[in-house]
Amino acid sequence: MTQMGIYFDQTRCTGCYTCMVACKDWYDIDAGPVNLMRVRCIESGTFPELFAAYLASPCYHCANPLCVQACPEGAITKREDDGIVVVDRDKCVGVDQCPRKCLKACPWDAPQFGPEAGAKMQKCDLCADRLEVGQAPICVEACPMFALEVGPIEALREKYGDNLTAVGFKYLKRFEPSACFKPKSDC
Amino acid sequence: MSESSPEMDNSDTTIVSTGCCHDCGGRCILKAHVKAGKIIRFESDTGKAPQIRACARGRAYRQRLYSPQRLQHPLRRVGARGAGKFERLSWDEALDVVATHLKRIKTIYGNNAILFLPGAGNQGMLHGPTAPGLLLTQFGGFTRYWGIPSYEGALFASMATYGTIRTGHSRDDLMNSRMIIMWGWNPANTIWDPETNLWLARARENGTRIVAIDPRYTDSAATFADQWIPIRPGTDAAMLAAMAHVMISESLFDRNFIAKYTVGFDAYKDYVLGRCDGTAKTPRWAEPITRVPAQTIADLARAYAKSKPSALIAGWGPARTAIGEQYARGAAVLCAITGNIGINGGYASGFMRAYSSRETGHLIKKDPSRPIDKSKGIPSSNPVENGALPRPNSLYKLSGGTNATSARIHQSKIWDAILRGRAGGYPADLKMAYIVASNCLNQYPNSNRGAQALKSLDFVVVHEQFMTATARHADIVLPVNTFMERNDIAPPWLGSPYYIYLNKAVDSLYESKSDLEICRELAPRLGLSADFFKMSDEDILRMFASRRKDIPDFDTMQREGGLKIEMAEPIVAFKDQIRDPQNKSFPTLSGKIEIDCALLAEMDNARIPSVPKYLGHSEHYDTPLAQTYPLQLLTTHSKIRTHSTLEQVPWLQALERQGAWIHPSDAQCRGITDGDRIDIFNDRGRIRVNAYVTERIMPGVVNVCQGAWYAPDDDGVDIGGCANTLTLDEPSPGGAFPMNSALVQVERTQQNQQEKSS
Repeated sequence: MTQMGIYFDQTRCTGCYTCMVACKDWYDIDAGPVNLMRVRCIESGTFPELFAAYLASPCYHCANPLCVQACPEGAITKREDDGIVVVDRDKCVGVDQCPRKCLKACPWDAPQFGPEAGAKMQKCDLCADRLEVGQAPICVEACPMFALEVGPIEALREKYGDNLTAVGFKYLKRFEPSACFKPKSDC
Repeated sequence: MSESSPEMDNSDTTIVSTGCCHDCGGRCILKAHVKAGKIIRFESDTGKAPQIRACARGRAYRQRLYSPQRLQHPLRRVGARGAGKFERLSWDEALDVVATHLKRIKTIYGNNAILFLPGAGNQGMLHGPTAPGLLLTQFGGFTRYWGIPSYEGALFASMATYGTIRTGHSRDDLMNSRMIIMWGWNPANTIWDPETNLWLARARENGTRIVAIDPRYTDSAATFADQWIPIRPGTDAAMLAAMAHVMISESLFDRNFIAKYTVGFDAYKDYVLGRCDGTAKTPRWAEPITRVPAQTIADLARAYAKSKPSALIAGWGPARTAIGEQYARGAAVLCAITGNIGINGGYASGFMRAYSSRETGHLIKKDPSRPIDKSKGIPSSNPVENGALPRPNSLYKLSGGTNATSARIHQSKIWDAILRGRAGGYPADLKMAYIVASNCLNQYPNSNRGAQALKSLDFVVVHEQFMTATARHADIVLPVNTFMERNDIAPPWLGSPYYIYLNKAVDSLYESKSDLEICRELAPRLGLSADFFKMSDEDILRMFASRRKDIPDFDTMQREGGLKIEMAEPIVAFKDQIRDPQNKSFPTLSGKIEIDCALLAEMDNARIPSVPKYLGHSEHYDTPLAQTYPLQLLTTHSKIRTHSTLEQVPWLQALERQGAWIHPSDAQCRGITDGDRIDIFNDRGRIRVNAYVTERIMPGVVNVCQGAWYAPDDDGVDIGGCANTLTLDEPSPGGAFPMNSALVQVERTQQNQQEKSS
């Protein structure tokens, strides 16, 4: 099996949110709580010694995705051929009948729920449909800084080094997130 | 909302290459996926390098295009002007009303009573103000303004120093810089050519040292800079003079360059060393003014002078101050005395234009061998201005700027001119305003006075896409379509050598029309039968393109959605002048870089000295007014809209919390905590916004991103939070807009007011 994963160059991210909006537009998701890609600002220090970084968070498609086990309906699966974690929304029973167990299992808030009654889970699938036809995920193709790349995680780590942490991102062995980074130094 | 997996069956989807070209420093490719006459999603540039990738603003365009707030049909005011009550009417009725008023005002008062306010909301060549301007010209002319808020200080300084606004390098040349100083420049949030940030990142990765000077710890400072130097707003010229002092007293200037390519260094030296006023402009002198430690200033001066080639890039924001051209001039002079001009990796700080058909000789011009003596009157196609003498304090002897010297009213004084007319010393009593692609009430300084002015006019017509604050003050509002609904060409703006062809992707929504279509229908009503309005959009675009030598083939550009012009090497301003001074001179009167500017000396105005100086002004931090209003206001650009365009786009609004930046120390002593409703006010007005309490702004400074929509409540409090409700409507002598010079006070909104406005 190939495990698909994501590389994020945190040193390049200006926090422009283009990836987030491109994703919203591509999947036609209303403004609001459902963000398959999220960008978070991490700030520290006091004037004038300051630090700020951004972290782009899609789903990290863990080698050991605890969301899969957490789902009582078996709605979340890890694809055998590429390791992409996907949700079958027909099987998801929604927030009325399940207290967002997948979200509680995920340290990075990848499972997303809309504000509507009975909202079913949605998540990043690395634009599996686009990958299938040889296109990069929409966030990767959108990034004006060329700070994102998606591919087999082994190849990405070979290309960019196997730095597994970034500012605002802690590598959790239990999950084995399929991500590598060029982290921003916070000193 | 669809399922999260989009339909990848593209058989019934066509992809149309169009773009986004509002008034930011980018014009970006958007590939519209069109299904059953509707855009269902976008991609951006997926073509060959360099890709022109749209930012979040462009990617959010569907929510602007299909916004339920789009104006759908012509509207006529009912009730008081500005009250926002309108009735629907037909295009025929609306255009009849507009034509009747135009003819009436022309007959009774003359053409100069017609005020034309073209805006920059549309940067396409054809649509936006182009056609209405032509129409009004043929109708006998109009009164217009001079001065552009974004850059007037930088433009003036560039013209005075170099004689041209083409002072920039293409961004790929940043790779040749040993050091980059980003002075008041935040390209991470304000797009300055779409590729600028990428080149800054690459330069940084290449080992270039980057320093950011800004009152805020901006995203640019956080992402690119090795060092951030916070500086008190409006004092940049003092720090620049102090840097010059270090260079002069330590002999770190480039003697040969100064001798060969500049005039007036001695006069500047006299100012810096204090020979003319008894005050040496040392770092120690600058420290209490700028709040930058003297050591930091000295270190930066030494580093910049010693690491040639280096790029000092002075953003336009610090020049948007009450005496803004002094900063821009000071920065240009530092570039000159360090010999960083005309060389790869250096930079001639200024207007920053690197590539444009207008200045690169690619535009087929009128006969250059027949120069015009403007001192005896300026020939203009606008009959109202034709033959007008040059504006006082204008650099009319130079060519190469973008501002007419025949226009008389500075844009920031438009409201005053409307209210006071000839009695106030203005050239006309203005009776009507014709407003196109401009939310001027929001974006000119002093919005409350603007509202008063618009209310005083006989007639106001506005071409708009949304019910902006300006449109709300119209008698007739004409609904205009967007980029996606018509063909146009976006020409290069500042520095990027490319055109975008905006192919029409969908039919005009509702009853909207293009500005050109409106003029086509208005022309016969005004008794004009000009051929231009009979031409098709495409024929006009072909005509425009044929005048540009850098567009070899219109059809290819149209088909491919753009034209990327390959440059053999990076563009470096003034390379020829530096390489071959015998045969190539600077387009100044002296033919050299004017550290001491002869044209400015002629003006004999202490407020616009011939060498750059640090000067105060009536709303500076050290004036008596600061006792009442102790905080300095910045009105910077937001990253989630383009000026006032793209406001109210839900995808963008949800991206981050909006609010006035205030330092914890300033918040705490006012009992303000993060997220509170606060009032920011001065004698010109009061706005009510949320507080964003952050360490990322220096104490004593408040930042309100400009562009939020002006919305005064019954008490006159602007609950829309428009920054210009607080700004001063008085230009600098060089025409800079003092958008970053207002003094304000901040208080927690009173409880009973909070409930009303939250």
